[in-house]
Amino acid sequence: MLLPGGLLLAQDDCASAVPITTGTYTVPGINGQAPPTFCIGQTANAAEWYSFTATTDQTIVVSTDLPQNFGLDTRVHVFMGGCSGLSCVTADDDGGSGYLSTATFAASAGTEYHIVFDDRWSPAGFDFAVSAQVPPPPGALTFTPMNLTGSSPQGVVDMNGDYLDDLVIPATNFVSIFFQQPGGGFVQQTLTSPQADHPASWSMTAGDINGDGRNDLMYGGGSGVTFMLQDALGTAFTEQSFSQYVFSQRGNMVDLDNDGHLDAFMCHDVDANVYFSNDGSGTLSFNQGGFGSTCGNYGSIFVDVDNDGDMDCFVAKCGCDPVDLMMINQGNGIWTDVAGLQGFADSHQSWSSAWGDFDNDGDMDVLVGASSSGYHKLMQNDGAGNFTNVTTGSGVDLHTGQSIEWTTHDFDNDGYLDIMGGGKILLGHGDMTFTILGTNNNNGPVGDLNNDGFLDYMNGGNGYMNNGNDNHWLKVATVGTVSNKNGIGARITITSAMGSQIREVRAGDGFSDMSTLNAHFGIGEDTSIDELTIHWPSGITQTILNPPVDTLIVVEESINTGVAEGGAPSLGLFPNPTTGQLFLSAGNGPVRAPAEVINAAGQRVMALQLDGTPVDVSRLQPGVYVLRVLDDQGVMQARFVKE
Amino acid sequence: MLKRNYTLAGLVVLVVAMVACQRDPDDVVDPTPGSGGGDDVQVDPSSFPLDSLSSYGFFTGPLAQMLPKASVLPYDLIDPLFTDYAHKQRFVWMPEGSKATWVSDDALLDFPVGTMLIKTFYYDGVLPANERKILETRLLYRTSSGWEFADYVWNDAQTEATLYMDGLNVPMSWQDDQGTVHDLIYRIPAQAECWTCHKNQNIATPIGPKPRNMARTLDIGGQVVDQLPHMEQVGYLDPSHPPISQVMARWDDPAEPLEDRVRAYLDINCAHCHSVGGHCDYRPMRFDHAESEDPVQLGLCVPPEDPIQPDMTYIVSAGLPERSMMHFRLASTAVNARMPLLGRTVVHEEGLALITEWIESIDPPCP
Repeated sequence: MLLPGGLLLAQDDCASAVPITTGTYTVPGINGQAPPTFCIGQTANAAEWYSFTATTDQTIVVSTDLPQNFGLDTRVHVFMGGCSGLSCVTADDDGGSGYLSTATFAASAGTEYHIVFDDRWSPAGFDFAVSAQVPPPPGALTFTPMNLTGSSPQGVVDMNGDYLDDLVIPATNFVSIFFQQPGGGFVQQTLTSPQADHPASWSMTAGDINGDGRNDLMYGGGSGVTFMLQDALGTAFTEQSFSQYVFSQRGNMVDLDNDGHLDAFMCHDVDANVYFSNDGSGTLSFNQGGFGSTCGNYGSIFVDVDNDGDMDCFVAKCGCDPVDLMMINQGNGIWTDVAGLQGFADSHQSWSSAWGDFDNDGDMDVLVGASSSGYHKLMQNDGAGNFTNVTTGSGVDLHTGQSIEWTTHDFDNDGYLDIMGGGKILLGHGDMTFTILGTNNNNGPVGDLNNDGFLDYMNGGNGYMNNGNDNHWLKVATVGTVSNKNGIGARITITSAMGSQIREVRAGDGFSDMSTLNAHFGIGEDTSIDELTIHWPSGITQTILNPPVDTLIVVEESINTGVAEGGAPSLGLFPNPTTGQLFLSAGNGPVRAPAEVINAAGQRVMALQLDGTPVDVSRLQPGVYVLRVLDDQGVMQARFVKE
Repeated sequence: MLKRNYTLAGLVVLVVAMVACQRDPDDVVDPTPGSGGGDDVQVDPSSFPLDSLSSYGFFTGPLAQMLPKASVLPYDLIDPLFTDYAHKQRFVWMPEGSKATWVSDDALLDFPVGTMLIKTFYYDGVLPANERKILETRLLYRTSSGWEFADYVWNDAQTEATLYMDGLNVPMSWQDDQGTVHDLIYRIPAQAECWTCHKNQNIATPIGPKPRNMARTLDIGGQVVDQLPHMEQVGYLDPSHPPISQVMARWDDPAEPLEDRVRAYLDINCAHCHSVGGHCDYRPMRFDHAESEDPVQLGLCVPPEDPIQPDMTYIVSAGLPERSMMHFRLASTAVNARMPLLGRTVVHEEGLALITEWIESIDPPCP
């Protein structure tokens, strides 16, 4: 029974880790020193340590999934960096059968790895095997977990205006932010906030509500909504909370009335949805109604469903009224539900939906992923907002996983959107078909945590760092001037040799987290992009020829490089100059369309809806202005002078 | 508005005072429901909700003593919902000449139009003065079109409770019988919160008053009565019904079989959402006592639908509470993870201990 003392000490801490190679080994029991950090899950009290040094570059599998371990419960971490600088390489808890573990990592020749089993679930002994595996094919999508924050961030989004994604952990009276550094890595900073009336228990959304260049936060609380506005210096937050009871779910920031100021929307679990109107100074007011009248609202997302240039609203629903909402924005403050017409009005139980152009044909398709129900709905858009259910045979129908979170990104930069949900990533092929990636990948906020152009994600305190491949990419940060500051609602189109792709800038997708506001494109093997076009919410269209690739570009909304250079057709206006009323020449432009007036500084000073009657500009200061009319044919504009 | 017969009211106060002194409960355990009008209880549901609790005239004497008029019948449940350790006092009132009828052991009593269920939430040992503090009185009243909610928030002086339906957070510090101090933020629900739990198939409904959860004794002013026969005797329950066969175990009675206690606990705390027609009926659990005899309905070896906590491989993992989503959620106070979602901000340690004991007792392990 008694083992020699020397044996007891071996493998009990990092320094005494037992060197091993491939083969099968026995852990007699777990009673050594716990590692200083855990690569997954909660902490444990004790651990056993082994050291492995690869002789060649190879993929190593550490597994307790052995017949003799039947019924046991293990957990394993793999570190590199030596005993003084342990950093996570990978980890696994239940990847094997039952509660057994299988951890796989890419080992570099000559590097020492520490394989550590902890007693999170049991101190009992077991066997484990170390083997070399055939490496995954080049370009295969793999992630390496890295403990970044300890606790669970709700946002991967820029908070200091440098367009690098930061990690945001909102607490009741402060916001902990891990700022991504230009050279890589993070520096944590705590920004004070008032005591939040409604903590971000259900969701967090970010956007620049007050337009000062630093993003603000919306907390979706269990009994109401709180906004935390970051000051322009990035030192602290001030609070706007609303006393109205809201059982918050997904929140979004979007310019609902297209006045150039970011508004906000919140799903209400047990009543009609609510929204918050921005008066232009960052002061919000509460509204309820107009976006469905029933309960069961879980996953809202704003997306241009019908390609008419404005944001429509889709709400994935569940529970007491599971009939989804598809609210088409009529541009005049009226949103019309067409879910029934478009095949979304069934009793599918969903908490979120993933909207993207899965077949790269220039419109937004959707996967309404199941939270319950047992099946997912993949719906193909015909370009005008008419949908066909194409689930059968798409590969999505083979996915048995379910979750409250469903999002879409191009994780492998092949130019085809992938879908994350139900514990897996579905790799898109650009033709409405998908293949389920073999690894377990549980949702969290998505962004680029090391600015390498390959999207990473957080889950718990771990960053799942995308190991990347040889594909090329582009990230676009939009800065609105006439439109809202973040350019939320902008549609970005790129064209490269492989074809065209679209993205929308959105604040609030999936169910609970806030993902990057940077639009991200993979372009596969293409090494250049012919053209990048941004359709801003203001109606301004801006084209950039031959943008750089494999980098982040920041595009500021500009009327000069936009419509003017694009040569928008001119409108006939009279009288010109005018003192009060402007008439549009008959036959020269649409009669009914959204329109706006831009001043000489490029700022929007009026937003209106043409209805056949003259435009009243009597309130404008004397000066030179542009009237821009937006319809489905594009943009028409004309200069006029106000006297 | 309320025509009060001061002479009668004074008499009742006197009687109650005598009862209190003499500890002779006879005069108050023989309420005469059905004579509501004579009790000055406000009976016109079309005027509801009234602005204040006192306007209904349920009680006599100082409001905080909640001494019911004769037609206001106290009742209690075998298994109550856990609400952050708050105490509850329940009464029912029905219009003169009307009574509830028995549907089945498992179904809510069919209460007549005009019924008022009155539930008051309070704590004892509230600091700093170590005194009783009444927080709210909730009314569920039945109109011809269905059940409606009204919530009355008590003032600091404990002299009146006022209609308030927008929800309120009340910081509470109280000391239990063992002298342990508890701090919490007590939640008085907004109307939509009432409806979250108190609905089935989107129709508002009471939860507790089902025969299987009412077949117990009740101490009325010192006299112990069998509750359901007593309701029949006083004319509040139609006696024509088959004998009761389904009675829930007391969840905290160690003499009862463990699984029966668990089923009872999960029924009253969880089944309002997790049963057919409930707020979360799309999840696989079926916690209603009538549906939970098969432990698979309780989640035994059933994987959770959502991988929010991948460690929790089953809703109930036989023998392994730490691997069971049910245990995780009952042990959590995170707003988006805890269960129940509403009405609980602290862990119900005794309830969690019951669930832990039960899960540990299950054998063999899940596959």
